[in-house]
Amino acid sequence: MRGENRQQFYYQLILYICGFLLFWEWMRPLEKVTDTQNITVFIIFAAFSFFISFLQVSWWLSMPLKMLGLVFILDGLFLYERLFSKEWFLIIYQQFAYNIDLILAQQWGEMTAFFRSFLFLVLLWLMSYLLYFWFVIAKRIFLFVLMTFFVITIMDTFTEYNGQWAIVRTFIIAMIALGVSSFSREMEKEGISFGGMKRIHRWILPMAAIVLFSTAIGYASPKPGPQWADPVPYIESAVGDSGGNGPGGGSIQKIGYGENDSELGGAFMRDDTPVFRVAAKKESYWRVESKNHYTGKGWEDTMEEDIRVANGGDLGIRTFTDEVETEEQYTLVNFNDDVQLNKLVYPYGAAEVVSYPEQFQFLVHQPTGEVETQVNQKARQIPGYRMHIDVPSYEYDQLREAGDDDPREIRDEYLQLPDDLPGRVGNLTEQIIKDEDNRYDRVKEVENYFSTSGFEYNTEDVAVPGESDDYVDQFLFETQQGYCDNFSTSMVVMLRSVGIPARWVKGFTGGELEDTDIELQDGDSYNLYQVTNNNAHSWVEVHFPGIGWVPFEPTKGFSNPTDFYVDTDDLDSSSEEDNSEETDTPETESPNQKQEIEEDFDSDESGGASEEGGNFWNYIGLAVALAGIAIVLYVTRFRWMSAFLKRRYKQSEDPATYQNAYHYLLKVLDNKGLKRKPNQTLREYANDVDRHFQTNDMKVLTHHYERMLYRNEQQSDQWRKVTELWENLINKALS
Amino acid sequence: MTQQLSLYEPKISEVMKNVNKVMVGKEEVTLLSMVALLAKGHVLLEDVPGVGKTMLVRAIAKSLDCEFKRIQFTPDLLPSDVTGVSIYNPKEMAFEFRPGPILGNVVLADEINRTSPKTQSALLEGMEESSITVEGSPVPLKEPFFVMATQNPIEYEGTYPLPEAQLDRFLLKLNMGYPTAQEEREMLSRTSGDHPLTKIRDVMTKDELLDIQNSVKEVYVDDTIRHYIVDVVAATRDHDSVYLGVSPRGSISLMRAAKAYAFIQDRDYVIPDDIKYLAPFVMPHRIILTSEAKFEGYTAEGITQEILEHISIPVQRNRHE
Repeated sequence: MRGENRQQFYYQLILYICGFLLFWEWMRPLEKVTDTQNITVFIIFAAFSFFISFLQVSWWLSMPLKMLGLVFILDGLFLYERLFSKEWFLIIYQQFAYNIDLILAQQWGEMTAFFRSFLFLVLLWLMSYLLYFWFVIAKRIFLFVLMTFFVITIMDTFTEYNGQWAIVRTFIIAMIALGVSSFSREMEKEGISFGGMKRIHRWILPMAAIVLFSTAIGYASPKPGPQWADPVPYIESAVGDSGGNGPGGGSIQKIGYGENDSELGGAFMRDDTPVFRVAAKKESYWRVESKNHYTGKGWEDTMEEDIRVANGGDLGIRTFTDEVETEEQYTLVNFNDDVQLNKLVYPYGAAEVVSYPEQFQFLVHQPTGEVETQVNQKARQIPGYRMHIDVPSYEYDQLREAGDDDPREIRDEYLQLPDDLPGRVGNLTEQIIKDEDNRYDRVKEVENYFSTSGFEYNTEDVAVPGESDDYVDQFLFETQQGYCDNFSTSMVVMLRSVGIPARWVKGFTGGELEDTDIELQDGDSYNLYQVTNNNAHSWVEVHFPGIGWVPFEPTKGFSNPTDFYVDTDDLDSSSEEDNSEETDTPETESPNQKQEIEEDFDSDESGGASEEGGNFWNYIGLAVALAGIAIVLYVTRFRWMSAFLKRRYKQSEDPATYQNAYHYLLKVLDNKGLKRKPNQTLREYANDVDRHFQTNDMKVLTHHYERMLYRNEQQSDQWRKVTELWENLINKALS
Repeated sequence: MTQQLSLYEPKISEVMKNVNKVMVGKEEVTLLSMVALLAKGHVLLEDVPGVGKTMLVRAIAKSLDCEFKRIQFTPDLLPSDVTGVSIYNPKEMAFEFRPGPILGNVVLADEINRTSPKTQSALLEGMEESSITVEGSPVPLKEPFFVMATQNPIEYEGTYPLPEAQLDRFLLKLNMGYPTAQEEREMLSRTSGDHPLTKIRDVMTKDELLDIQNSVKEVYVDDTIRHYIVDVVAATRDHDSVYLGVSPRGSISLMRAAKAYAFIQDRDYVIPDDIKYLAPFVMPHRIILTSEAKFEGYTAEGITQEILEHISIPVQRNRHE
């Protein structure tokens, strides 16, 4: 008997470990999809809690133990005061008081990391109980396994988390857990002794074989690709902005200007946070840096670390040669207080920074044009500066006649393409440019291709390239909708595929015109532009021998603010300029109009069409949620009703209550699969039930009910005792 | 009531134990005979000769301190052979009534279907009315009065089948059935010496029996049970294969039997299980099948079973309220 108990213990241990491993799978994605740090600590605490729960020591021992673990973790992570010192308690008290206030004020997002960690640890603690109950007491594993699979697949689909191995791991663990639990339950049911460890191989071997076999089959067998496109953009477009633009969406999202472009794709979240404000004569794009290396998924900077420290003066970030006509101007940039860009933003032709806080140093990375701002070797945000710029204007014929004779270092860096870039990208580009004989017109053809070939500007329904997809190829041939990153990257890659050196540039668009004709200290009048995170942008620079890098704007709905002109002998050059702008860049509009276009896009996407759609989907979502709740309530109806009825029946002792209670039990048993046939007498049924549960309770209970029913007994001193039987039976039926 | 239960229940089981000393493997028949006895009903035993019908009756009679009479029915038996005759007593100068065997407490009517309907009805009248008519004047029967009639299966030659109306007079109709091989071996070993019947003695007095019979009447039958009885009985009348269903007398009999059965089970109220258990012994001999049904091989027993499977058991108070 003792041996049997020990074996039972081993089975429980295996089950419980499996439970913990499955739970671990729930915690793995946290690091990836949330800003949770120190996940190891949490896992250790979870393991600790699970261990304590498994020992089944009484609560007065397990509670303080877990509490102690929790306190130590919080102390180690957040508190610098001496443990259990006066200050320590004070801090704890303050944290709790503050966060409880927040909770009462329903400002969930504001809670401190300390308190969130505390809550999370408590959750882990509770989970250890729950899983102990599920796995060891109730031996109901399948539900949790199923939920684990759901979580992993949802995480995999809707977040960056890659659940490929998690699924395999979960599968193996789940198979083992289910196997062991089913085996042990079967043994228990049949009352068979476990028969000693000697014969353990009889079931261990087949189980291991089945697990390994099915895992191998599952892993090796071919899996069809997704049957429909990535659901995330679809759902997001369907829900629209109604879900709020908080960071709760969970998918890859880009907000504002980001450093890391190695994985492009996903929605571009709107964010109206102001970044900087500029006073300038005319609107221009604000360049930050360029990137040279296309990976198939995004951009990386692989240029040599050619960094030069500059203390004002000429930064050496001009992107064009002296051949280009320029106009001298000044511009004033003022960053918002809480911005942490730590870089200069500058228009084309920026020559030197003329006035700025003098403790700042500039780290110029010449090939990319990235200028980092530093104070004492540490990256710091510069509050504002004044710049001297030579605004370039490019002459058409000069561009057309520039030829294809790029210097070698340009060709080396800016013709790079990933080896596995699908050939159809190059083929398409060849098709597009086949009628043109010079670089400028070819580039123009490619630039125009995006506005004429059914591409759609969309910041929400944007695909993330899969493992085997190329970002550009996917955009050009499959999705055809996206925002600036899609358009600009595609254009660069297309140009490179036909041997035109090009690079990808990041920065900001001109922003919103806030005021005109404001006079600055130099006596000139300027326009005032507000640039927000929404203005984060990317575009294209193409190299022209002898001229330098010329910006192009492939993104649909945006226009290139750069000046191009036709050099004629006609003196009325300004009108010519206007003309040429109209002929060559038909979408070029004044800054104001451009803003309107952008807004149009927004209202088209989230405001107009999907406002109703959003509402509709809201209702659908609500209905689904309600239906879900209803289903859950229905499925668990006996559980919560039992708890409710238990109390009620205990309070009242009249025959009607007894009858209701008894019939409720019949219903629960019926639900359990022990159905009473109408022609079955209660005794016959009670025998069946007792045989099933191997008790005598139902017979006794039924006997009392019979007395009430068939003998018309109104009072019984036995009913108290019977209530206990009733509870036992309900619990048995529900477990 | 509960007192009486605890008082008499041991007595009843003693009687049954006594009988089972004689009978091998006939516990159920014994029990059912007790049901009939306590319910003041009568039993019709139908089976082939030699399976212990007579032995059963004698064992019961011997266990009770009662007068046992036996009538062997033959085709030439006259009603007066059952009821008794008045004979002129020259000494007294008057007719003197010589009571027949029906005026006993426990009467074995052996092979009842071998005699003419006229003689049969003499017995059956007594069974129903607790009195007989002798030469125009009623003569009350003794109390307790318990008839166990045996009959050979009606397919046998030289029988006068009892008419339906008279079958109705029997509370239960039982079949003995052949013993199993093991039971038969046991039987052989028991009868190798003195017959066990000679060894048993009475364990219940006449008064006790009468008391119990009166107590059985007190057993509580709830309205729900009455509804159930009526449902079951009514179903026989609506059944397609049935020509004539169970009469209201059948319902009453079922209830009486159930009361007695509950009493034997040491219970002072009837539950549906009692009805379900007894219906196959109370109802079939009260059902007449249509000739088509008979031809198709249906039996009254089968139909009773079918009905029981279709009538739902009352499990709630307010069902009919």
